[in-house]
Amino acid sequence: MSTGVLDMELELEAKHPPAAMPRYRDMPLTDRAVLEAPNMVSVEDLNLFYGSKQALHGINLEVRKNTVMALIGPSGCGKSTLLRCINRMNDLIDNVKIDGRIRVGESDIYAPDVDVIGLRMRMGMVFQKSNPFPKSIYENVAYGLRVQGVKNRAVLDEAVERSLISAGLWDEVKDRLNESGLGLSGGQQQRLCIARALAVKPEVLLMDEPCSALDPLATSRIEELIFELKRDFTIVIVTHNMQQAARVSDFTAFFWMGKLIEVGLTEKLFTNPRERMTEDYISGRFG
Amino acid sequence: MGRHFDNELRDLKFSLLAMAGLVEEMVELVRQAFSERSDAKADRVIALDQNVDELELSLDQACIDLLALRAPFASDLRLLASTLKIVPELERIGDHCTNIARRVKFISSYPHILTASQIEELGEATHSMVKRAVDAFVNGDAELAKAVIAEDDRVDELYVQVSKDMLQIMLQDPTAIERASHLIILVKNWERIADQATNIAEEVLFILEGVNVKHPYLQKRDS
Amino acid sequence: MVWLSGAALALSLMMMLGLVGYIAVKGLGFFWPSPIVQVQTTEGLILGEISAQEKAHGSDPAKTQFRVCNRDLYGQDYRWVPSAEIQALQRPLDAVLIERLENGPFIGFIQENTGDKLSLRTVDGQTLEVPSGQVVRIIPSNALGVVGKSRVYASRLWEFVAGAPRESNTEGGVFPAIFGTVMMVLLMSIAVVPLGVLAALFLREYARQGWVIRALRIAVNNLAGVPSIVFGIFGLGFFIYTVGGTLDQIFFSQKLPTPTFGTGGILWASLTLALLTVPVVIVSTEEALASVPRSQREASLALGATKWQTIWKVVLPGALPGILTGLVLAMARGAGEVAPLMLTGVVKLAPSMPLDGSFPFLHLDRKFMHLGFHIYDVGFQSPNSEAAKPMVFMTTLLLLLIVLLLNLAALRLRSKLRARVGGSSF
Repeated sequence: MSTGVLDMELELEAKHPPAAMPRYRDMPLTDRAVLEAPNMVSVEDLNLFYGSKQALHGINLEVRKNTVMALIGPSGCGKSTLLRCINRMNDLIDNVKIDGRIRVGESDIYAPDVDVIGLRMRMGMVFQKSNPFPKSIYENVAYGLRVQGVKNRAVLDEAVERSLISAGLWDEVKDRLNESGLGLSGGQQQRLCIARALAVKPEVLLMDEPCSALDPLATSRIEELIFELKRDFTIVIVTHNMQQAARVSDFTAFFWMGKLIEVGLTEKLFTNPRERMTEDYISGRFG
Repeated sequence: MGRHFDNELRDLKFSLLAMAGLVEEMVELVRQAFSERSDAKADRVIALDQNVDELELSLDQACIDLLALRAPFASDLRLLASTLKIVPELERIGDHCTNIARRVKFISSYPHILTASQIEELGEATHSMVKRAVDAFVNGDAELAKAVIAEDDRVDELYVQVSKDMLQIMLQDPTAIERASHLIILVKNWERIADQATNIAEEVLFILEGVNVKHPYLQKRDS
Repeated sequence: MVWLSGAALALSLMMMLGLVGYIAVKGLGFFWPSPIVQVQTTEGLILGEISAQEKAHGSDPAKTQFRVCNRDLYGQDYRWVPSAEIQALQRPLDAVLIERLENGPFIGFIQENTGDKLSLRTVDGQTLEVPSGQVVRIIPSNALGVVGKSRVYASRLWEFVAGAPRESNTEGGVFPAIFGTVMMVLLMSIAVVPLGVLAALFLREYARQGWVIRALRIAVNNLAGVPSIVFGIFGLGFFIYTVGGTLDQIFFSQKLPTPTFGTGGILWASLTLALLTVPVVIVSTEEALASVPRSQREASLALGATKWQTIWKVVLPGALPGILTGLVLAMARGAGEVAPLMLTGVVKLAPSMPLDGSFPFLHLDRKFMHLGFHIYDVGFQSPNSEAAKPMVFMTTLLLLLIVLLLNLAALRLRSKLRARVGGSSF
């Protein structure tokens, strides 16, 4: 009969149940939605030969849409080679033989009737050493569109501004778009190259050690950028730097001597990898 | 050619082992102090606690330093994270041993109580858990760690049994209440030590297998 | 080692400066009015400029050479007189040197100057009448001060550069030769640059690199060592007789048998020289193409450009400094070659210039004059080689100057491009 303090408390709780305590699995660093994203790039049983030397052995890898996949491994393990297969840049090297499939979206990009030029327009590539053209900043960013035949000045202006903003470079260069791209600092040049790649609205961004020539401040700016770009693009990044892979990627794939040793959620791979080799590599015991 | 970091990790492990060994010794010593009603041994236990506290401070610092400077991954990371959690457990075991030692000194003048043998059984079981948890860490023995975790239930039952018996004695013989209440506190400390040994074993499992086995009731709900 | 290389550099510089300086001194002094000297010799009075002196050697006494002009009266411009016989040297103030359209200059005294003719008297009493229309310049050399002489100098220099030649190229100006040289070099450049660049593009970018291409490259390099007269003969046989003859039959048959393109002309000469210099351009262009970093090409291709787009938008602009280097080398070589031109269209005296006011304004079939050939012709083919000597030096100097100017223009263009391209090794 007596409604003591305890009863009052129970009543209150019944009326205002406390917010459901998040279950521990809902609080990871990686948004679990990545696990449900569809595949953007699928590598199926890919083998690559330089002449008679086999550089990639039966690679099977899936990159999900709007995620960042980091490719790690010691020098010469094939990660850059795989990256260059995705936009068929390896076609430029003589006596390279490829068998297997790579699907981007639905179609196999190594099918015989594929338009390689069109494929490359869907992929943006950023290289290890920044390589802006010896043209003005404006012309650098507009290059990809001009090559597609776009001449309309208004369209180009909009694309240049949009890309430079996305790359985080607009505020620094908006007053000097006609100056040479070579006059920028290393970090700025690399961001210019990123803007150049973004201007054609690619679906996938391929980055080959984009920060290896940059100082830590420039590196962290680009890592922040990758984090934001993830919303609109799918990104595959090759890196030597374990900490960078840990900071930036959702998934990590570890390569060794042309073979894919382990691939998984970054947070799992870096706290509790399955393979002994992965464990040793990321702990710095070899490589 | 080993990494410099490997040497640092090895030194860290040695320090942790030193602390664990010290604590294990305290547990054994206090068990003997209770059985033999030895004030000398009880004093020794109380004195050892200071060494344990010193080791806690240096191990805390070492872990933080290594985390900052070496940015470890995988098993190295798990080792450091778990060490940071094992160290306070060990330190608390030490504190509990000190508490037990103080109680021993209180009751050493009293005559034996009926449930002495059960308390001793509790003490032995607890000591065994502590020893095996430390061994599991030293030898990287996951099975041993799992065994320790499984044993916690048995020790809990022992504790419940002893508490019930104490209650009976107190109801029957009011003069024994003072003695009994010391014993209840003493026995509570044993039980706490057993819990801490279990926690240590869980951390050891995380180091070895990368799996967090705490709070099984939550785990079953989500699997 | 430092001393050795420094000494070599100093030696080269001295030789170059010595060459240019010698020519400059010999040539530039030509226009400065010399004093007219009157002397008494055993043969009578002599009035003229002192042009040379020789010391005694062997049994020859020392002698002095006087430029007495008056070719129509004496038959020769110069006279040697033993120095010992010279007496009573004076400089009469009223002695004049008159430059005429015909028969070379006159040295003497003016008796009377009516509006349309001059009555002249030589130092030994002969008289002469010269219509005013024949007079180019009257120079009272001894009566002029420095200012007056400078004006004469400037006037003569201007005439040299801008006027037409006379007296079978020993007097007057060399303007048609200048024009012909420059125009030929320009036509040659227009022909050689596309040819060389396209060939280099094929060799470097499009052809599969194998032993065939290597052999081709060696052949091209060896072409640079072929003697230039061989190119002249090729030009004659192929361009003039075969191609020119065919063109004549198709387009100008009404004018036959007078050839239009079937004979030497500025077009064939330029094309012949273009062939001569194309190996230089090909080699320079290939080097320049190779110096464009691979990373730039990859960046362009990765953005979805075709190979041709990459070449046109990235590689060629980046290789432009090197291509210009090749052009500079080609122009320097082309402007200096004379032998092949003699077979393909250069003449001693061209009746008209390849560019004039009559339609179609650019006459590629016309013959032209050329400074290099002019030097040869004036120096060795003229009937009056003594009178021609200063002209030879001046023309040589002029040719050097023109080549230098062409090179400087191209180099300046190259350095501006290089600043834009930035960092290329060329």
